[in-house]
Amino acid sequence: MAMITLNGKSIEVDEGLPLVEVIKDQGITITNLCYIDGLEPYAGCRTCIVEIEEARPTEIQLACTSKTADGMVIRTETEAVKHTRQGVMSMILANHPDRCLTCHRRVHCMPGDICLRDDVVTHRCLTCSKNYRCELQTSCEIVDMGEFSEPWVGESRSYYETPPPEPDRGNPYLEFDPQMCIICTRCVRACDDLRHTGALTLSGKGHSTMIAFGTGGQIHESDCDFCGACIDVCPTATLMEKPNKWRGLAEDWTNSACNGCSVGCTLSYGTANDQPVIVRPDRINPVSRDQICVRGRFGYTDVPERERLIRSLIRNGDRLLPADNFDQALDIAATSLATVKESAGADAIAVLGSPLATTEEAYVLGRLAREAIGTEHIDFSHGPLHRAVTEAFVSGLGTDQLPANLTDIEKARTIVVIGGDIEESHQVVSLRVKDAVKKHGAKLILISNRWSELVPFSEQWLQPFPGQEAATAQALADGLSSSTTHIPDTAVENTADAIATLRLAIANAESNIPVILAPTAGHGAVRAGGEAIAAVNLSIAIHSSEAAHNLYYLPTDANVIGLTDAGIVPGSTENDFPNIIEKAKNGTIKALVLHNDNPLLNTPGTPDIESALANLEVLIVIDSLKSTATQHATVVLAELPFHAKDGTLTSADRRIIRQRPAGAPQGDEREGIAILTALARALGTPINYNSAADVMRDISSSVVGYVPYDELTRSPGKIRALVESESTTAQQLPAPTVSTIPPVSDGLAIITGRSLFTSWAAASIHSDEADKLHREESALVHPQDAESVGIRNGDQAILASMANAGSELRIRIRLDDGISPGSIYIPHYYDGGALMRLMPLTSSAEPTTLMLQAMQPA
Amino acid sequence: MPLETEARAELRALVADFAPNDGQLMAALHRVQHRYGYISREALEVVAEQLEMFPAHVYGAASFYDEFRLEPPASTTIRWCSGPACRLENGNGIRDAMLAVLGFDDLGERTDDGRIEMVNGQCNGTCEQAPLVWVERPFEHERRVVGKLTAAEAIRITREIRDGESIDGGHETVF
Repeated sequence: MAMITLNGKSIEVDEGLPLVEVIKDQGITITNLCYIDGLEPYAGCRTCIVEIEEARPTEIQLACTSKTADGMVIRTETEAVKHTRQGVMSMILANHPDRCLTCHRRVHCMPGDICLRDDVVTHRCLTCSKNYRCELQTSCEIVDMGEFSEPWVGESRSYYETPPPEPDRGNPYLEFDPQMCIICTRCVRACDDLRHTGALTLSGKGHSTMIAFGTGGQIHESDCDFCGACIDVCPTATLMEKPNKWRGLAEDWTNSACNGCSVGCTLSYGTANDQPVIVRPDRINPVSRDQICVRGRFGYTDVPERERLIRSLIRNGDRLLPADNFDQALDIAATSLATVKESAGADAIAVLGSPLATTEEAYVLGRLAREAIGTEHIDFSHGPLHRAVTEAFVSGLGTDQLPANLTDIEKARTIVVIGGDIEESHQVVSLRVKDAVKKHGAKLILISNRWSELVPFSEQWLQPFPGQEAATAQALADGLSSSTTHIPDTAVENTADAIATLRLAIANAESNIPVILAPTAGHGAVRAGGEAIAAVNLSIAIHSSEAAHNLYYLPTDANVIGLTDAGIVPGSTENDFPNIIEKAKNGTIKALVLHNDNPLLNTPGTPDIESALANLEVLIVIDSLKSTATQHATVVLAELPFHAKDGTLTSADRRIIRQRPAGAPQGDEREGIAILTALARALGTPINYNSAADVMRDISSSVVGYVPYDELTRSPGKIRALVESESTTAQQLPAPTVSTIPPVSDGLAIITGRSLFTSWAAASIHSDEADKLHREESALVHPQDAESVGIRNGDQAILASMANAGSELRIRIRLDDGISPGSIYIPHYYDGGALMRLMPLTSSAEPTTLMLQAMQPA
Repeated sequence: MPLETEARAELRALVADFAPNDGQLMAALHRVQHRYGYISREALEVVAEQLEMFPAHVYGAASFYDEFRLEPPASTTIRWCSGPACRLENGNGIRDAMLAVLGFDDLGERTDDGRIEMVNGQCNGTCEQAPLVWVERPFEHERRVVGKLTAAEAIRITREIRDGESIDGGHETVF
């Protein structure tokens, strides 16, 4: 500890801290245009000048490079400090439009006013998209640039002597306008040190120095993942979000959550005119902290305003027409459900929930199903997959509530990742893995059937053929358990090295060796279950009794865990999702309530699911989108989109994350809870909740681990729905069923996955703009396989299903040697889930295969 | 994963003996430029991969140096010496005369057919030849020093180059 005197006040701080952070923590405003909290100082802008008594060679020092020491006396507001800061700032402004920043009358200017002091009216703050929320602008105000001599007074030049550099507006997410850049290099360092992506660099030298992306081309040609970490740190309008760039001045901020995946990153929504206009990371979740990904930052803009469902719809013959009002639609929904219940019994009604909805809605939906309707046909389309995984946990570890904490990953020295491409499906967890590799030299063992951005970070990449992931992970477990070092011939390359890496880690008594399991939803329940068994066995082989504390499960969708905890669980396997579809197909189930889910997008077997939905007498859809499933609906009840909902999500490590509404309802949209309770009441069962908080009170009294909102608010992001049972067991499970590798003549084995840029919501309504970058709209084929059927890079080809006869898919082929010969990668959400049409409803350990055919010229 | 093409494989073989974290970035870039006359985007990526760096950082380094070309050079490059000795001998006049013949406004420009470009050069100490230009044909690895120029000579030589005739004189250097 050190005692320092800051502006005459004595405070006790840790020794060796960057002084600038201490000053900011004390609530003192200080200009620091290049410093990023937590990173090494860059000392490029020189604006964080302070006076430190007896410092040498001069008392004027930079607060970012100075470290706290005992007896330090610091003054931040002296005349000398202020004058030096002004001088420094004037040099920064030499390369930035500065007339407004140095004008003492700027506060009198209204948007659209003509400048009365100067005839050059372009390049003013008032014509800048970052006006009133710009760090450079604020910094100029802090140092009173208005009173500093105005360097341009009396100058006859117009604004620039050289034309400003060209902006890059070539992508849908990020705008880069280098004429505003002050070369603080915060973006470069954020991309390198916070994201380990390295898409940005300084290019050129001297006066022509500029920020550049990738190898000097456009942003979308570089390695940029559009996470926007650079936007967060940019002190000027150089790097800005493209959506709402000119409207992003928030009137209010709401801390909320992202439902893009199960990491549960916390977001801060800025709203203006009651609609969200900007998203910033919210540090509440200790896993995501100041980082989010493209889905979190831009997710609220995925569905264009005109596609939002703001009025309830009623079927009229072939068409769905807007209802007169909500009550009319609700009335029809309730009456038709009651009719089915009366004629065919409650068991003829099924209810499907969604992992994209809140836990509170799921709880009310469960009560609606059990109490108001009286059916045990309750599930969600990813339910079988989730249960296959948790069953492995229960039988191997004695619990499905894994106590492993995602914040431990970045501290690990050895990490195993099993499953798909977590860089695309769970980017922030992938980022923490990269943190461990880059900051602590952690060794990453990656079991993945295709190349991903994590591969360059890995020590060993084990590339199994599709369907062999479980066997590969099991081979590691077996290798660790047996005393011999014999590796079976069938094991994939690098298995022996990976075992050696793990043995070394165990020998070094590392207690924190995360085993991260991220099963791919599109591959079906059986394979996910097999991967879970292998992951359990591997974690036990490494950690024995501590296995549960080091095994991480990343479900694909956001709230799978909360949904299951809230009771969206079928009465028995007879009532689960595949059975519901089968029963609807054969007419046993006559009515379905579908909340937020779209089984046509989520799960394989589209032909079966379509005929099931078409065969229903009554289909009630509660959704904020006119999804592909709604075209079979009897009634569609318009619900709020996720960002406008109130409730909670339970993340992959069982963190209860509060979701607060950003933006007001439009049209006749209602809260999900209001719709579900109204439907229950109309069916004659009084389920009464006024708010999500009410629901949570009920959940907390019946589900262990959940707590009411006031407790969540007291320690946000910390509370986990977890009963830390002392007695997690560690029981090795029988090895998972191993599939055979099909010969190439039987077709190519399908690999799929949740791709980063394709939006679930936009894919659900089958929008052409689901992938705004149009980067994930092709199938990846190994050059060998393409050559054998005469397909070149970029050709269109036909993929014919082996499982569902007659189903085929036209898609552009991209050659890629990141997958094994004999396999093909197709993004899950491509073309509204078109791939799901080629795969069977019932899952198996064998990979689904399909035939690749060249298109014949007409 | 970037697809392995023949061009990439060739580049990879070219820089295969450079190791990461060994201060060999400049050497790798020099070798690429010497072989192809410039450093393509693909080459930047391959060098980055070989040296375990980010492509952006390799670009950042390459763009720092004027002498690294990131675009294919013209088949004939006139490199005008900007050193003080040449300037004392009317180097600026020589430059302006040559620019006028080629129809350029400034150094760094290229003819419409992309055949000839004129760039800024740095003094290499051959000041006894001042004022001078280097006439380079990068694809033939050929460089001539054309020195002791007068404005009239400069115009004549530039016209010959422009009209595709071979020029006389100069010390030939193969690089």
